[in-house]
Amino acid sequence: MFTLLRDLRRIRRGLDLPGPARGGSLAVRHVDAGSCNGCEHELTLTSAPAYDLQRFGIGVVASPRHADVLFVTGAVTNRMREPLLTAYAAMPEPRRVAAVGDCALGCGVLGSASELAGPVEDLLPVDLRLPGCPPDPAAIAAALLTLIGQ
Amino acid sequence: MTANVVGMLRPRGAGGRGPDGPGAPRGGGEDPRSYRDRVEAALAAGRRFAGLHVGAGGDVVRTLLVAPDGTAELIGTSVDDGAVPSIVDLVPAATWDEREAWDRFGIAFDGHHPLRPLLDHSGSVSWTVPVLGADVYQVAVGPIHAGVIESGHFRFHLVGDRILQVDARLFYKHRGLEPAAENEPFDVGLAHAGRACAACTVSNSVAYATAWEQILGLVPTPGLARARTVLLELERVWSHLNDIAAICAGVGLAAGNARFADLTDRARRLNALLSGHRFAFGSVRIGRSEIEADTETVDGIRDGLIRIQEEFTRSWRELVFNPSFTDRMPGVGVVDAAQAVLLGTTGPAARAAGLAEDVRAASPGLSYPGFEAVVPTRADGDVRARFEQRSLELEQSFGLLLGLLDGPLESALAEPGAPSRQIGIGLVESPRGRTSCVVERAGARAAGSDGSRERSRDGSRDDEHRIARWRLRTGSYANWPSVAFAAAGNLLPDFPLINKSFELCYSCVDR
Repeated sequence: MFTLLRDLRRIRRGLDLPGPARGGSLAVRHVDAGSCNGCEHELTLTSAPAYDLQRFGIGVVASPRHADVLFVTGAVTNRMREPLLTAYAAMPEPRRVAAVGDCALGCGVLGSASELAGPVEDLLPVDLRLPGCPPDPAAIAAALLTLIGQ
Repeated sequence: MTANVVGMLRPRGAGGRGPDGPGAPRGGGEDPRSYRDRVEAALAAGRRFAGLHVGAGGDVVRTLLVAPDGTAELIGTSVDDGAVPSIVDLVPAATWDEREAWDRFGIAFDGHHPLRPLLDHSGSVSWTVPVLGADVYQVAVGPIHAGVIESGHFRFHLVGDRILQVDARLFYKHRGLEPAAENEPFDVGLAHAGRACAACTVSNSVAYATAWEQILGLVPTPGLARARTVLLELERVWSHLNDIAAICAGVGLAAGNARFADLTDRARRLNALLSGHRFAFGSVRIGRSEIEADTETVDGIRDGLIRIQEEFTRSWRELVFNPSFTDRMPGVGVVDAAQAVLLGTTGPAARAAGLAEDVRAASPGLSYPGFEAVVPTRADGDVRARFEQRSLELEQSFGLLLGLLDGPLESALAEPGAPSRQIGIGLVESPRGRTSCVVERAGARAAGSDGSRERSRDGSRDDEHRIARWRLRTGSYANWPSVAFAAAGNLLPDFPLINKSFELCYSCVDR
């Protein structure tokens, strides 16, 4: 454990990250509405040492009940339409929706039209649009930081 | 409910079946009476089930069997009155494939009952296996999960914390990728195969490209084989590092998770250095490679890889000497070798059970000279074995890559050198196991189950590069039934750990 923690401290020192935020936080609920798993893999890494979003009070929460922002990835399949709307309905006000990745924005989506209900904008009011296929962790981190305090 | 009764509830498969129609039986090669015997003989000869698909006309069902030497064989049966004989009693690994064929094409499988819906979420037949008895209750999880996880539903049948049975209901992310590319040019299918899944994009793309190269009679040159192998092994490196991070998360070891997440990130940056994309999207082409990297870039990737390897080795030692971590794994989520054969388990999960099977050992179109599958010393088929297997395979991949990353990478071609075919089969060892892609081209009809070529009737060549039917069966698809099997008898709080020890994708299953 000592070596693990020492290495993590070393990684942290080697990074030129902005200092932790003073006050403010953001509780994020992620909904995969039919992605290729790329946005998920990159979102997961925003908690890796090189990005470490928790330092800014940004964390992924288990329930939409606890969430400030709904982080939606994927083209929105017919089968995920209802779960997505249900998750949004469960959120307390004020609430924000982030449509993340080209698929969620309806750009270059592949698949059969009969299986797709998206883009996210057709179903929910979108506050944050983040293009990319997928957006990398730094882009996701920067975009989420802009939501703090809004 | 029998399959035949179910059959009456649903429309039958498309396609006429007159004597001259597309459904006309085409000789003994697809005779339903001998289909089961042929499959049984192939299995007895040591071949493994690698997928089942419905042919382009909806009038033939083909089972893909793969020999240890990499030889792939399609065993076909013509569809008779909307039904074919089931093979699930011979090879339970075919269960999901038959359920999918029923859901998508309305083909009934005689002997497979109840034929539960898999892809179809609206069916009238229960998709869960009823579990009855005192104190049995259900826990429904998903499709939206508590963490950053793909969407899918699990139905746990429990007594207390003990899992009696898990039914996985996936396909919430079904985008209809395969039908969307049908009748389209072959490069459209490549985009769909590549975007089926970010985590397996290189593996799936190489499988698809290989299938088309078989159809076109093209053989990869050593330069093309090298470029693809580099991409495939880089994908395996980041993926296995990610799996170890995920197992740490499954146990609640935050420091291990953070350490391996950092290594995963750095491995993905190497992908970006080589291909310009962190997942190497768009890096695989049919019949060629356009990856170009000068000596400096290749050396940079090599140096980055050496640093990742050093830090991986040090951090791995920290994990395996941390008893509060390692004590969570032995004896949990077991799939032993015999069960793995029946279930069709593949990839690291099969090797962790002691099955020394790896597509890379017989991949002539790729650069794996003298490759041998590795298995752990304690091949118990439990979470510990799957965890240790990732380390063994990482060391193997580091070794392969350091050998391959020697000198610049230049664009390369596949060259004519084999007879062209009607049906192509691409086999790739993805980070999660054997991935098969079967492509049937439009135009000339298949002459027989061996996929040998026949000119199209009107002699036109327009259809030569169009897709009539394709099916991508990934390592994740093959392994999901094993996750459910491994979880039974274990504790509910161990399910995340068992699940992470397989670390399967949903997107390339749902397609």
